[in-house]
Amino acid sequence: MNEQLIIAVSREFASGGREIARMLAKRFNINYYDRNLLDEIAAEKMGNIERLRKFDEVPKRSFLSRTVRGMSSSPEEHVANIQFEYLQKKAESGESFVIVGRCADDVLSDYPCLVKFFILADEECKVKRVCESRNVSEDEARNIINRHDKSRRLYHNYYCCNQWGDAHGYDMTINTSRLGIEKTADLLEDYIRQRTAK
Amino acid sequence: MAAQITAIVIFVAMFVMIIMDKIEKHYVTLGCGLLTLIAVFGICMQDFGAMWNTINLKSILTAEFWHTTGAETESGGVDWATILFLGGMMVMVEGMARVGFFNWLCRRIAKMVHYKTIPIFLAFMVMSFILAMFIDSITVILFLASVTIELSRLLKFNPVPMILSEIFCANLGGSATMCGDPPNIIIGSNLHYAFMDFVENTGVAALIAFVFIVAYFYLVMHKELKGAGVSEEEIAKMPSPESFITDKTGFWVSLVIFLCAVILLITHSTTGLTVAFIGVAVALVTLITSAKHIKELLKGVDYKTLLFFTGLFVVVGGLEQTGVLEIIADFISKICGSNYYLMVAIIIWVSGIASAFIDNIPFAATMVPIIKELSVGSDPLLATLAWSLAMGTDVGGSATPIGASANVVGTSAAAKAGHPIGWGEYCKKMAPATIIVMLISTIYICLRYVANL
Repeated sequence: MNEQLIIAVSREFASGGREIARMLAKRFNINYYDRNLLDEIAAEKMGNIERLRKFDEVPKRSFLSRTVRGMSSSPEEHVANIQFEYLQKKAESGESFVIVGRCADDVLSDYPCLVKFFILADEECKVKRVCESRNVSEDEARNIINRHDKSRRLYHNYYCCNQWGDAHGYDMTINTSRLGIEKTADLLEDYIRQRTAK
Repeated sequence: MAAQITAIVIFVAMFVMIIMDKIEKHYVTLGCGLLTLIAVFGICMQDFGAMWNTINLKSILTAEFWHTTGAETESGGVDWATILFLGGMMVMVEGMARVGFFNWLCRRIAKMVHYKTIPIFLAFMVMSFILAMFIDSITVILFLASVTIELSRLLKFNPVPMILSEIFCANLGGSATMCGDPPNIIIGSNLHYAFMDFVENTGVAALIAFVFIVAYFYLVMHKELKGAGVSEEEIAKMPSPESFITDKTGFWVSLVIFLCAVILLITHSTTGLTVAFIGVAVALVTLITSAKHIKELLKGVDYKTLLFFTGLFVVVGGLEQTGVLEIIADFISKICGSNYYLMVAIIIWVSGIASAFIDNIPFAATMVPIIKELSVGSDPLLATLAWSLAMGTDVGGSATPIGASANVVGTSAAAKAGHPIGWGEYCKKMAPATIIVMLISTIYICLRYVANL
């Protein structure tokens, strides 16, 4: 692709958002960033990847943190800000990429080439997916989904102006339970091609 | 009664807002201070004398404020001496930072020990302890942590244990002198203790504790600090410490000002010069000698902290004037009776535990009038409680990542460099160290002072 393209994929837990993001990256032949973003950051900063991963997409615990002269004690906030800065740097360099989560829908909102999706799914589908992938009971799967989604919502809403999952903040919000992962990816690909063809 | 309840409500609201960290601290204390003046003194007490006493501006106009003759002066409310001293020291430290003093010092020491990880670890602990005796711990950790991170990249070691040990030693070093940690300045200027009083009392405790702490950190952390090491060639390629000095003349001038400040502080009980005088004097000399950089130096002063102090003193003044602190003192007195061992233990451990979770500055400011009440008429008891309060508030803050400013600055620097430190990891290493020092302090104070009361 000649024109820069940035695709930000926000997702509910077990909605298939990550798979769709990977498919889009492949179809547009652009880089895919998810947790691997921290690997690059750790290598560049000579930081500790295990420590960074521990606080990846974790909401800030305001009650357990303090700020002194603009410096925060919250490791969650630092890891989030490091990733935001890194994403800004990548976008500024003209690189095209797909980014999953990490508030990219808001952090990169100044870039006209940004396409933002929110991927969701029906609860039954998500529960089924978690039961299969993690070999857990339905109740446990529901707990896992609720815990992850709550954490993602808190994380996103702390740093972003728009609310997590609110359709106003995205180009499109789509339920993968209707078309399935593959066809949802087809639809999103078509949308991106039409938008970038303008 | 209405005044007491209002003062308590404002005080609790202020503390909750400080802990919540949603609004900047200085806005919180200034807002609550204003509310105290209006609601407590103006509406409930209708006592403008108490309001004026709390604002305490008149104290600045007295000769005793600048040069003490030894006569006891009773003053409450805003502690302008503390604020002026802190402001003055901030200007001096800004001057030292501008010329590259701290960068030079850290690198000079690293070079002295041939860039070997364990000797750097030990030397930086000693440096952190000594520097924090005279300079605010935030500045000490800002420079030490950034040099530690740079060295960790060069020498390929994990910087986290080193930064944690530096934080702890900065907090411990701060407890050794009157100007090392804000609670000590508050205690010293309110209770009329001199710089050397702290050195001879909390300083001895801090030094004993420091020996144990160096051994503790070495045992706990030395395995994590194994680096790849550097060859003589690589050492030769490293920039010389002198290359970090940005202004050679300014460097020597700032060093002389710093040494003069230390001498003035050490001798201030003999010369009669108050900490307010020393603070203003070093600030003026720094500004005059760096006339070209006045704007830059003044910009670096942490006005927010000074405003935070001002508002805080007014809120605590509200509690004092309405007699709330007297009630708390009576309560502690009833629990302890004449058992001074218990009283000391309560002061040290309650201060320590509270300071681990809340800002130790408002805590110390609140406790000073309480220990005054507890020791009515007995100077030895007052001194014992003052040293207990100083050790508890200064050291207790090391236990958690939010307990003291140095902890926040150090962990923040580490996180920015890709080494975020969580509560679990922090407390696992620092809480036992804090408990060791608190135990040493309790034993020291009980043996040296309480046994002789």
